[in-house]
Amino acid sequence: MGEVTEELKKKILDYLKTVSKAKNKDVARAIGEEKHIVDKAIAELSKEGKVEYIYLGASFVKLKDST
Amino acid sequence: MEGETPLLDELEKGRWPSFVKEIKRAAKKNKAALDLLKVQELSYKDKITHWKHGGIVGVTGYGGGVIGRYCDQPEKFPEVAMFHTLRVNPPAGWFYKTDALRKICDIWEKYGSGMTNFHGSTGDIILLGTKTENLQPCFDELTEAGFDLGGSGSALRTISGCVGPARCEWAMIDTLDITYNLTMEFQDEIHRPRWPYKFKIKISGCPNDCVAAIARADFTVIGTWRDSIRIDQEAVRDYVEKGFDIESVVKKCPTEAISWDREKGVLNFVAEDCTRCMHCINKMPKALRPGLDRGATILVGGKAPIVKGAYLSWVIVPFMKMEPPYMEVKELLRKIWDWWDENGRTRERLAELIERLGLKQFLRDIGLPAVPQIVYRPRSNPYVFLRR
Repeated sequence: MGEVTEELKKKILDYLKTVSKAKNKDVARAIGEEKHIVDKAIAELSKEGKVEYIYLGASFVKLKDST
Repeated sequence: MEGETPLLDELEKGRWPSFVKEIKRAAKKNKAALDLLKVQELSYKDKITHWKHGGIVGVTGYGGGVIGRYCDQPEKFPEVAMFHTLRVNPPAGWFYKTDALRKICDIWEKYGSGMTNFHGSTGDIILLGTKTENLQPCFDELTEAGFDLGGSGSALRTISGCVGPARCEWAMIDTLDITYNLTMEFQDEIHRPRWPYKFKIKISGCPNDCVAAIARADFTVIGTWRDSIRIDQEAVRDYVEKGFDIESVVKKCPTEAISWDREKGVLNFVAEDCTRCMHCINKMPKALRPGLDRGATILVGGKAPIVKGAYLSWVIVPFMKMEPPYMEVKELLRKIWDWWDENGRTRERLAELIERLGLKQFLRDIGLPAVPQIVYRPRSNPYVFLRR
């Protein structure tokens, strides 16, 4: 399994700035990375308080300070 | 309360323990239990349920573990207007110390109806009935006591396995350790529902499959062995001398891997024909033992009937060594989840997706070789009715 890098996290955050919310798999597709690494990176970003999950039937992720 | 629930009262009669009696006992301490009985009585009378889903309820940071329930007649039954369920992840093998159980019960009497269901069909501790405002404090106290919520919704459901080596001589794999290890590894997958639908993992220590993993789990791990059954011919002869009908065992071997040489008094066995069903071992445990090169068979696709019919799991990896930290099985799970998440439709279970896209594509995309033990498609009906 690949490692999460700061560069990957930045790519995820940059993408989330362009949408109100997204599913993990959509983030992975948009930035062209493997989903399981993106899952891991998003979990880390959540723990760092930079993104948050919202549950609307399925899980979405969004930037913490965006509405 | 006397005479208020005549239909339910009928269920107190007879020899068996009655849930009505238990709820009436709970009603002495908790008003919600009394209203629960009344709702049930009304449902029996109206022949419809008076429970409904509604809104998303939960605790901070978790997308699952709480199932919102509301009564459709809140004015009539205010104590159960909200009656949410909490699913609590049990210890592997469902082993508890009594003080742990007391802790759970104390917390639940404080925040909930006091009614529980040990255990739900996925194996969770089910805490039945609380209000939205009590969810977070209840969860906080449960976590302080060392418990965590289980899975619900479109997520990895609470992983369960049989009692395994803790209580059973047939355990080929450490089901308890695997259950615990996978639970710890996949916390995100349990608490954050992000897939097309639910996904269940169940682990059985041997082909007797006491947790019925083959019929109930999307991903089934069943302990098995790769070498030959061990035969103590002296003990076999002892069985026969004592009047044991060995022919009945031989006849039931599904692949005719065993045969009994009456003249020589020898049980012949062809290891490569054996499917490891364990029937002969169960019948003659003093003479036959499983082999020593142990691991697991991995199957996928078991499910109960919802979108399509019920499926039994089918083999995708005939033998896999199961040693900590179980990297091979974790990698396989991640590949399957990615494939299912990428291709699955909403509420489509893994078996249904494989059937829709084809086993060939599944194997190719996952990177698994096709082997003879894999069957073409899942058996569509696990309910076998024998007729004489």
